[in-house]
Amino acid sequence: MLWFEREVVGALIETPDQHLRSSIEAFVDGSLRDMPEHLRAGVLGESVLLGAYVAARRAAGRLDRDDREALLHQLESWEASPIGVLRSYVRMMKSLVVFAENELTVEGAA
Amino acid sequence: MAHLATEVLVIGSGAGGAVTAATLAEAGRTVTVVEEGPWIDADALEPFSLDEMVAKYRHHGLAAALGNPAVAYAEGRCVGGSTEINSGLYHRLPDDLVAEWQTRYGIDEFTPEALASYADRVEGRLSVAKVPGAPPASSAALERGATKLGWRNVEFARVFSYDDQQRGTKQTMSRTMLPRAIAAGATIVPDCRVQRLTRQGDRVTGARCRRTHPGGGVERLTISADHVIVCGGAVHSPALLQRSGIWRNIGNGLKMHPTIKIAARFPHPVDHGDVPMHRVTEFSPFIAIGGSASRKGHVAMALAETGAPYQDALAEWEHISTYYAAIRSEGSGRVVAAPGLRSPLVTYSLTDADLSRLARGLVNLGELLLAAGATELHPSVVGGRVVHRIDELGSWWDQVTRARANLMTVHLTSTVRMGENRERTGADSFGRVWGYRNLRVNDGSLIPDAPGVNPQAAIMAIATRNCDQFLADS
Repeated sequence: MLWFEREVVGALIETPDQHLRSSIEAFVDGSLRDMPEHLRAGVLGESVLLGAYVAARRAAGRLDRDDREALLHQLESWEASPIGVLRSYVRMMKSLVVFAENELTVEGAA
Repeated sequence: MAHLATEVLVIGSGAGGAVTAATLAEAGRTVTVVEEGPWIDADALEPFSLDEMVAKYRHHGLAAALGNPAVAYAEGRCVGGSTEINSGLYHRLPDDLVAEWQTRYGIDEFTPEALASYADRVEGRLSVAKVPGAPPASSAALERGATKLGWRNVEFARVFSYDDQQRGTKQTMSRTMLPRAIAAGATIVPDCRVQRLTRQGDRVTGARCRRTHPGGGVERLTISADHVIVCGGAVHSPALLQRSGIWRNIGNGLKMHPTIKIAARFPHPVDHGDVPMHRVTEFSPFIAIGGSASRKGHVAMALAETGAPYQDALAEWEHISTYYAAIRSEGSGRVVAAPGLRSPLVTYSLTDADLSRLARGLVNLGELLLAAGATELHPSVVGGRVVHRIDELGSWWDQVTRARANLMTVHLTSTVRMGENRERTGADSFGRVWGYRNLRVNDGSLIPDAPGVNPQAAIMAIATRNCDQFLADS
């Protein structure tokens, strides 16, 4: 995963359990690696562009580097964007994290 | 480089490939089946779990047909193919569609009566059964809601067998047809990806493959064969043919059942270990309503779709089950094997009528679930209203748009259509690829259009029929 992808995944994960967080990150990382390469290339491109946009906003003081809520708010606005690839990017990341967080919790508890 | 020689090479081991292998091996042919995915014990992983997704799904289930909107799709990539990961629902091809396709595509010996006899044979080789006793609560909800509204509904049979204690076992290909094929002398080669077919004039001579060994080593393997039957499914069969230089009417005309979902919260717990077997057929064949896998992860994903806070609902996830409305789409798509890419590009264009049908399906499904006693409905629509009462459902009509609907499918067909109408088909009435004497396709790619029902039964019946023709021809 690229640094921005890791940051997005980190923001979306809700559990404070470090072991579980690592497992979720590993699942998302594996899933992204296993994507069809043309889709992965598109996601990588988006991650670079969106990461640069977020970095620029932080540099301009418009987004706090450690503010998880601010990043989540940004993701929320992208998810409702009229631009299809932007919406798909957030939905995909969110789906992977939400599925893994809940499945791994269940399996861990079993 | 290793080399194998066989009489019949079957590429793919799902519903089409496994039936083909078993039928031909039992008829005395020397059959080799190559499967790109691994051989995983059917009992080793919990159905619909994260582990199963990682081990058995192609791309971890993370593939999509590009378009506006994109449609996510899932396929199996293991010995047994998608039969290892689906719900096992079994539905014969509707007679009116058979008659319509026979005329439109000029398919020889394709009548409801003929297909029924092949379906009988398939059912005689598998266990096709309804649930003994009462259906699970998630399925009964569909029946209850439909009955209250006066809508037609049916409990579908499934490819399941049941023991004395009514425990069901899905009759996947790795449990049924593939063991039969092996018993009749067939060889199964897992972890073996066919890169391209080798050709000479109007004959295919075999295939070039890469086989991965358990330790991780990769070996080149060439296979020579008298006959090659491609059964990689509606995405990978056309992609392989294209990689091998065969393009005429191959890969275009992709059809699917785009699906929109609702997570429904009930005042009581519902089951989560199975997939509902009831289907509402009131709006068939254009809209089908049914239930989906609803483990906690699926429920959480479905709840998250609207973007509204869902932690309160998730805390009561045992009371929630997910349901869908699937449409027969008027749109179509393409599969293209782009040079240098391992995975084919898949595109799909939904029509405005499709979107309207999806909105109607969502509203119908909502009405049904409220009638069944659901108290809260979360649609798979970004910004979609979480509904509690029937008078709130109307808001969904305007919310199912290209920008907001979140769609998926597990049914893909029609990329190498069969029939004698050469303008519209990539293969003849029995799956022989036009222009090649010994190259056939025998999977869901041949089905001329989206059938409006789970296509597994149709794939197996048509595969059996085509095998009979192959045996008669050769």
